[in-house]
Amino acid sequence: MGLGVEYYCPCLAATPHPPPPNLPSSSHSFHPLHNLFFCEECDAVRCNRCVFVEVSGYYCPNCLFEVPSASVRAEKNRCARNCFMCPNCSNTLTVVPSDPPDTGDSRNSPIVISTVGEPPFFLYCNHCRWDSAEVDITFEKPTGLAAQLQKFEDSAPESLEFERLKEHFEPFLRASNSNAIQPTNSSHHGQLNPIQAAASSALSRDIPGVSKYNPLGRSRSGREKAANRNEIAEYKARVEAGAMGLNSGSGAEGDVEFVKHLETVEEVAALNQRWVNSWPASLHTSDMKPLRIPLHSKKSKRCPSCRHILIKPEQKAQSVRYKIKLVAANYLPAISVSLPHAQAALEMMKRSAGRTGSAANEEHSLAAAGGMIAGKTYPFHLSFTNPLYDPIQVRLHVQRAVPPITVVPEGGKAPRAPFAVTLPSSAFPIAAYAEAWEYEDDEDMFGDEDDFEGARGLKDRDGRGKTRAVGVLERRANVTVVGGEIVLGKEAKGAVKFNMLVTYTYRSDDPEPEGDIEGLSPSKAHGHSKAPEMKTFSFYTLVELGNIIPREDPKMDL
Amino acid sequence: MAQPIYYTRAEYIETDTGNKVSRRATIAGPQNIILGGKTIISSGAIIRGDLRRTGPGHAVVISLGRYCLIGEGCVMRPPYKTYRGNFNYYPMKIGDHVHIGANTIVEAATIGNHVEIGKNCVIGKFTIIKDCAKIADNTVIPPNTVVPAMALFGGSPGHFIEDLPESTQEIVEAQTKQYYTRFQPLPSER
Repeated sequence: MGLGVEYYCPCLAATPHPPPPNLPSSSHSFHPLHNLFFCEECDAVRCNRCVFVEVSGYYCPNCLFEVPSASVRAEKNRCARNCFMCPNCSNTLTVVPSDPPDTGDSRNSPIVISTVGEPPFFLYCNHCRWDSAEVDITFEKPTGLAAQLQKFEDSAPESLEFERLKEHFEPFLRASNSNAIQPTNSSHHGQLNPIQAAASSALSRDIPGVSKYNPLGRSRSGREKAANRNEIAEYKARVEAGAMGLNSGSGAEGDVEFVKHLETVEEVAALNQRWVNSWPASLHTSDMKPLRIPLHSKKSKRCPSCRHILIKPEQKAQSVRYKIKLVAANYLPAISVSLPHAQAALEMMKRSAGRTGSAANEEHSLAAAGGMIAGKTYPFHLSFTNPLYDPIQVRLHVQRAVPPITVVPEGGKAPRAPFAVTLPSSAFPIAAYAEAWEYEDDEDMFGDEDDFEGARGLKDRDGRGKTRAVGVLERRANVTVVGGEIVLGKEAKGAVKFNMLVTYTYRSDDPEPEGDIEGLSPSKAHGHSKAPEMKTFSFYTLVELGNIIPREDPKMDL
Repeated sequence: MAQPIYYTRAEYIETDTGNKVSRRATIAGPQNIILGGKTIISSGAIIRGDLRRTGPGHAVVISLGRYCLIGEGCVMRPPYKTYRGNFNYYPMKIGDHVHIGANTIVEAATIGNHVEIGKNCVIGKFTIIKDCAKIADNTVIPPNTVVPAMALFGGSPGHFIEDLPESTQEIVEAQTKQYYTRFQPLPSER
């Protein structure tokens, strides 16, 4: 539930119009404004789902070291300094000497005894008290631990096998990469096939019961091709596949015995403790090894259609600045929605909190929670904030009225909409954003009412309209609040959400410098002087107004 | 639309630089605490400026930047450790636009700018939280953890959940400024 406005990114749909808001899948197309990007070249909104992401740098999230991309591969995407993750709780491990200054912890003494003559440092988890001495990993000196640990990792039979496989296929992969432009690439009989053939024959030899990968004689033709161009030697495994899986791989005989004799669940390593490993890990909690911390990356993002960069972070890993940052919040007006009846109810609740809880109070609490009662009419406020340095004209439409094409599939919905939304039909202005409002005296932006009535002189202009529910309610700085109204049907239920098309007109270039913005904006409201260089942009939003409380619910008439 | 958050004028002391400190907060060793301005310290918060580094001279124990919020019932105390046999407290530095939710305990060494910390968290000793990071409600960050910039941390023990949007800095800055302006004395008392 809840109150909110989300913005539409059309990347998932074929049409520029969003799906009806009551479809569960529509939530995938709407995003909070600050998660969206804006491509100036295409003049379009982009979201995290559709942008192209490129890694612009790697860093360790613990020591914050920026890892050059050349060494990322050699270090297997993990930190090669002194950062380790607890295999038990995934917290960061610290290096401690085996004779800590205070030997109050009784657990320390057996460790020291068991590692007599062993190097004195081990890794210790501050959170769950796991330590690496439990799995017989201790260190000579407290530096360069990752290199020592990586030696362990690299000497694992799986890792050696993988290296050997890579070595085996390396020359062929290089060859196929170099002539990857050839048209054979597209067909299934292309370069990859000999690799598959070799792999499948190795697999069928090592693991009984696996038949050779041979769909429609493809492997044969592939093999002929391979013979023609590049001979791949038969791959010989380092170890027989069956022998390796015995003590570590999942589903081996040993595991059955182990599970049969389980005493506590904790003896079995949880799935999330095991899946961070590159290889199938042992089921035993007692076998878990400290892990080097996986690296994080800084990402730059590109527009999917024109390839222009939307986000380009600074090189420094911990800098939060961007060289390029085209976010939608700098282009589209920010919209927020509020329900005056809920706020009034909150006020009432606060005031009557001291008194005894009455039935009326109950309704207030319902209303304060954002509930609306079926069959009633509620006003709502939409506040628009203009991020542009030019004033804009905004026009609103509720979707069902606008695109007649998408209304047709909506037939699956109830024949009559459970609610009707009224929005101001005429365009309304929002003044330009001015840096000055951001500075120190911004208190009076949110200050008490009479403050900006006097200061801006805008409010009283609208104040004449008295209790207009629909229309422009308030204008101050670069914010305009408009009112809308929602009429709920008698048997309406569920969430109130509707798609709203926002169209705004702005000046594309700013040739003449306007001296006084405050003087200019009201005149624009009246004069509506259309300069030739006006541009229009529209986008869809999803407005959520909360849930409808069905009629049957206990309620009191006020 | 942005509803004001009212407080009774009698409860809060407002300084020249716009800091608002609740009289019901426990401020120990105020001479060792620096507030950057426009920072709010809510009622029931405990700030231990008295836990200073041993040794002569003036020592800043806790420094807070501008537009910070210390939620109700928060405990802020400097981290300590025994190094080469000497027990000592170490200073805590907190940047600008940092909001700390209610009932959170903070023993961090450094908290950057534009950081949001949720309610009921425990931020362990010597934790370093970089700029624009966010700690979800009810998170326990173990001692010596590093929270990288633009990361959301949550859970117990706190771990990385996701990257925050690129515009986090602007969002947090706007939110903290707005909170400060919404936080005003009851109109009836003016």
